Amino acid sequence: MRGRALLLAGLVLLVAADALLPRVLNPYYLTILSRIGVAVLAAVSLQLVNGFTGQFSIGHAGFMAVGAYVSAAASVYLGADGLAALSGSLPASLARALYFPLPLVAGGAAAALAGLLVGIPALRLRGDYLAIATLGFGEIIRIAILNVDLVGGARGFSLAAPLHPEVDLRYESLGAIYAVVALSVAVIARLVYSTGGLAFRAVREDETAAESVGIATTRVKVEAFVVSSFFAGVAGALFAHSEGYVHTNSFSFLRSFEIVVFVVLGGLGSLSGAILAAAVLTAAPEVLRGLGEWRMILYSLLLIAAMLVRPQGILGPRELVPGFLRGRPGGPRAPA
Amino acid sequence: MENFLQQLLNGVTWGGIYALIALGYTMVYGVLRLINFAHGDVYMVGAMTGYYAAHALGFAAQPSLAGLLVTLAAAMLACGVLGAVIERVAYRPLRLRGAGRLAPLITAIGVSLLLENAGQLVFGADPKFFPALLESRELVRVGGIALSNVQAVVLVTTLALMATLEFVVMRTRFGRAIRAVSFDGQAAALMGVPVDRVVMGTFVLGSALAAAAGILVGLSNPKIDPLMGIMPGIKAFVAAVLGGIGNIPGAMVGGLLLGVVETLVSGYLSSTYRDAIAFVVLIAILLYRPTGLFGTPQTEKV
Amino acid sequence: MPLLEVEGLTVRFGGLTAVSKLDFAVERGALVALIGPNGAGKTTAFNVITGVYAPSDGSLRFDGREIGGERPHRICAAGVARTFQNIRLFRSLSVLENVRAALVGDRRSGLGDVLRGPAWRRRERDRDERARDLLAKLGLERFAEARADSLPYGEQRRLEIARALASGPRLLLLDEPAAGMNPSEKDALCGLVGRLRDEFDLSIVLIDHDVAFVMDLCERVTVLDHGEKIAEGPPEAVRRDPKVIEAYLGTDDEEEP
Repeated sequence: MRGRALLLAGLVLLVAADALLPRVLNPYYLTILSRIGVAVLAAVSLQLVNGFTGQFSIGHAGFMAVGAYVSAAASVYLGADGLAALSGSLPASLARALYFPLPLVAGGAAAALAGLLVGIPALRLRGDYLAIATLGFGEIIRIAILNVDLVGGARGFSLAAPLHPEVDLRYESLGAIYAVVALSVAVIARLVYSTGGLAFRAVREDETAAESVGIATTRVKVEAFVVSSFFAGVAGALFAHSEGYVHTNSFSFLRSFEIVVFVVLGGLGSLSGAILAAAVLTAAPEVLRGLGEWRMILYSLLLIAAMLVRPQGILGPRELVPGFLRGRPGGPRAPA
Repeated sequence: MENFLQQLLNGVTWGGIYALIALGYTMVYGVLRLINFAHGDVYMVGAMTGYYAAHALGFAAQPSLAGLLVTLAAAMLACGVLGAVIERVAYRPLRLRGAGRLAPLITAIGVSLLLENAGQLVFGADPKFFPALLESRELVRVGGIALSNVQAVVLVTTLALMATLEFVVMRTRFGRAIRAVSFDGQAAALMGVPVDRVVMGTFVLGSALAAAAGILVGLSNPKIDPLMGIMPGIKAFVAAVLGGIGNIPGAMVGGLLLGVVETLVSGYLSSTYRDAIAFVVLIAILLYRPTGLFGTPQTEKV
Repeated sequence: MPLLEVEGLTVRFGGLTAVSKLDFAVERGALVALIGPNGAGKTTAFNVITGVYAPSDGSLRFDGREIGGERPHRICAAGVARTFQNIRLFRSLSVLENVRAALVGDRRSGLGDVLRGPAWRRRERDRDERARDLLAKLGLERFAEARADSLPYGEQRRLEIARALASGPRLLLLDEPAAGMNPSEKDALCGLVGRLRDEFDLSIVLIDHDVAFVMDLCERVTVLDHGEKIAEGPPEAVRRDPKVIEAYLGTDDEEEP
């Protein structure tokens, strides 16, 4: 079937990329590619809440921070032992491949918990108030982490276990990163593009009407928030393990804004739009690096212009390849 | 006790600054339901404009009250124009196209980044030192509490500006128009209120006040840099929410309260948490009384 | 036992009493109307029955169970569905998706949607069929993939009814279903409502301003004015009731010429 063939092709591509790219590209470009992966996952996870459920969340970086720091701490304080042991009895790459999902899940779970704790009170608020609340929580999380010495505080946190300095806790495999991203996108796509998933969009369109047809809107909003936070945490964990070092500066409200820009510019309600925007806007500043100080000015002008020209984003609420992601051909169209 | 009163005085002074900036946020939100994230950066532009104006007009070399007032006026004028331009170019087209709520937010972020980065380009990323337009000296000492002339100027100016705004909003036709549009934009338009002009005027007023705040801060904390607007911007925003976003007296009270609370906590507990106070206040407000101290809850007709 | 029993219902908003000590019952299989001049409290009554507002006083029993103050989605699950005065469709979703959204109701978790086993596939197919079936019954099947807000007005109202039916209700509340329709559309709607009652084994309460429309269709009419019930009974009797005439200012101008 078409689906299976594509899956196989994708796997082959990932394995090939994983093996070949590090030989072909210099580390700078490899870093950009892994950052793109992280950005894509961050954007897609936020799209679930902002684009599909219509809730105004602008503190996403806070959940990424939770994922990054919890996964890093888990690796440094708990995982290093296990990985060292595993590496003793299994070939290194297998041991690491088996180990790697663990800190990711730990980070995701912690972030999901944070999402639950933040979501339950915050989602009672409507519109702008929710936005303000999520912004506030994002910053509080960041400041709280900044004050935890166990994870480095203001100096940042390195992925180096004091008891096992020889164990390399970093995981920079592009293939693995993109496998995780692809899997996550698939999960979110399946969640949203199903009859049950219509609940999210119904809440977005009209909460009162959604309630009247039996949808428990508060529960749906919290669910979207928790799932979104989980994947934000995974994104943070991916970031921590590929960079090998985390600092709360990477998770300020500016980062949250950046992700919101990906989602809006790509088109609210479009997974492929979010992916595209995240990829392009993460790569662009690097490409424009030659422009020095004009780079950010150009970027901000681009944002303003994009909103003036096309406020609904590049893809609007559509998908790039409607059939593929939605599981059935086409999408809503006006009658001819 | 003396320490407490001194802290209180400092808190009120900072509170006045926050209030001036918060007024801009709240007025724009009132008429547009838009959180203008670029507002904090207008405050920065005000300080920078004052810096350059003071140097260009020779006041930096020759401090004087008159020089201060001229600098203040120049900065307020410049930022008023800036506010008008931003509204006209970046926000109005979206409003006229009915572009929803998130698009203007992105634009606001874009404008904010633009101002910050243009500021870094034009002013240089290194901090500058705002000229001492007043020779700082102690004006009065009551008990153990000192009031410097700079502080006095800040307090008086803040009060004067807030009183002026209150007058404009409550007793002029334009102010009435602002209130009408804040209450119900569509109805106001139908009644012949020139909504576009009201919106622009709101931006001009808010930006001028933010510029004044920038000058006053430059006087009391001379180190200025292109990114100085970020934190005060956020805090002023929290102050506006605290008072009830969209509510003008609320912004004033919210600013003062936040300034006082921040200073007291910072003075008595720990200064590392100074910046966090604003966020804790924000969360507390949103959880217990999201419409703020003076806000009115919005109900939806089904 | 009546399907819906409203007893002593009072709804206050601050200082305003929108509904005052309303007693109202709907028998199984009944087709009744709730009418009254603007501001009489009809939509408020609907809103309380469906859980949008909580009653300030009084009781609401559906199928013997007290539902006053419950959340709307629970009341829907119990078997009450409604349409809205100002059409509240899921505008950017397709016509089919609007109906499908009502089929799930209280979804347990998204895990099934993620894993997509054979049971899931079967259920999705069933739901798709049910949704299309409903669309066909309301004459909307050719619009299935169109955006809900691209539909002409009359079709949008019918879509809202289809969506309400999708949740499998036993009581259907229609708030001004004929608003904005021309006489022939109203006739069609008349026939449709009657058919729906029989085909889906429903009890139906409708609110409308058009006295003739209501008279042709309904077995019993309850009249509200300023939040209070002022008359109740068969349409002919109510129409001639002097209190009702006075409430409407003796007006026949709600009717189409």
